[in-house]
Amino acid sequence: MTDHRTDYYAARKHAHDHGDHVHDPHAPLNEHDNGPPSEYEIMSRAMQEILEAKGLITADEIRRRMEQFEEDFPYRGSRVVARAWVDPAFRKRLLEDGRAACIEMGIDIEAERLIAVENTPEVHNMIVCTLCSCYPRALLGMPPTWYKSRNYRSRVVFEPRSVLKEFGTELPDNVTVRVHDSNADMRYVVIPMRPKGTEGWTEEQLAEILTRDTLVGVTVPRVR
Amino acid sequence: MTDTHAHKLPSDIGGNEAGPVDTIDHGMRFWERQANALRSTLTRKGFVKTDELRRAAEELGDRYSQLHYFEITTSALRAIMIEKGHMTEAELKAKMDDIRARFNVPDEMESPIKKGKAQST
Amino acid sequence: MNEPKSHSVGKSAYAPAPGRRFEVGDRVRVKRRFPPGHRRTPTYIRGKVGEIERICGAFPNPEELAYGFDGEPKKVLYRVRFAQKEVWPRYTGPDRDLIEMEIYEHWLEPAMAGTSDEKK
Repeated sequence: MTDHRTDYYAARKHAHDHGDHVHDPHAPLNEHDNGPPSEYEIMSRAMQEILEAKGLITADEIRRRMEQFEEDFPYRGSRVVARAWVDPAFRKRLLEDGRAACIEMGIDIEAERLIAVENTPEVHNMIVCTLCSCYPRALLGMPPTWYKSRNYRSRVVFEPRSVLKEFGTELPDNVTVRVHDSNADMRYVVIPMRPKGTEGWTEEQLAEILTRDTLVGVTVPRVR
Repeated sequence: MTDTHAHKLPSDIGGNEAGPVDTIDHGMRFWERQANALRSTLTRKGFVKTDELRRAAEELGDRYSQLHYFEITTSALRAIMIEKGHMTEAELKAKMDDIRARFNVPDEMESPIKKGKAQST
Repeated sequence: MNEPKSHSVGKSAYAPAPGRRFEVGDRVRVKRRFPPGHRRTPTYIRGKVGEIERICGAFPNPEELAYGFDGEPKKVLYRVRFAQKEVWPRYTGPDRDLIEMEIYEHWLEPAMAGTSDEKK
């Protein structure tokens, strides 16, 4: 069965709660990354310094934006969907106009449109962007590395069930798998089915099981 | 499995045979998060459009399949900022040399993260 | 196509784009064209027949925005629903599986009921 490492932020929280360190050599957390900077890191820093010197941007803007992406965005989507679970009228509004529903919760998704798609006993939704990696970043943060990977982008559209299996998700043939290729101006979020065993939970508790992999549709939320 | 045609872009990969998905979310290095913030700030302030960055990524040709995600996005941003006149090749090269000196990185050094060596002009 | 009602379109509150060519439920074919340059219509869907799932509204044309133009006049964007078995000749999942995506109006043409991917 899939583990929580499918969502970096959920994994980090889990590790923190259990007193572990997230040990992933691919993602050091601080400025002093292992090894000398690559050509592209140097290029990116160079561009930033040039554009700061020219007044297009400030260091402070970059820093604040980094903070938003790290501390704020990754946690918004789970709160929105948790509310949809407890409040049927809000769910309806979310399905009709995702952007407006987020604004109700004080969340600006910074995109033209948000389309929420709901999972039912008959239908399982799954999101991909084959052409690049379009993703509702101001709702879910940066996409997980697997979402951006070529293998995911290539295969979800023609063998979704096989990809789902790699994430530990198996669906019977009487469930429709509905893939959404997020290829233009729309952005998507999945409203998973609420699992049994969560009766009476607070929105905060519900948000915790709505990890980003569940909101993209590669897994279903589990009661742990 | 899909059509190929004269103008098929390297990003147009839906339907291509490919290997298993690495299902672990590895997060981002510090420089990648900073690069993302740079791109995001520049688009929000209207200096560049997401569509332009996507097009520049598509114009990477063969290199597209050799580069990692943030190498692609950094290359695309570089191309568009030069195209729009916000910086020049010479300025960028000079600044990159300056940064290398600060980090004490010789030009020829192979970093473990480098895939294809970007030719400094 | 017969789909369960549970994933019906869901009304959109967005502007319905007056002057649009297609309505929800219309059968459409994605044009089988291969122009150069920036497009948001993946190759794998070109020539395929589906139906309009919803009208997204009108947006500046990304094919122009990509080159620094303003993308006006706006183009109508639709979500189009396809049966996976119509898209992939060797699809191994059940017939009920679907794929949906956004297609700009100028990439769509009307399709007769029962037609499949034919070169025109």
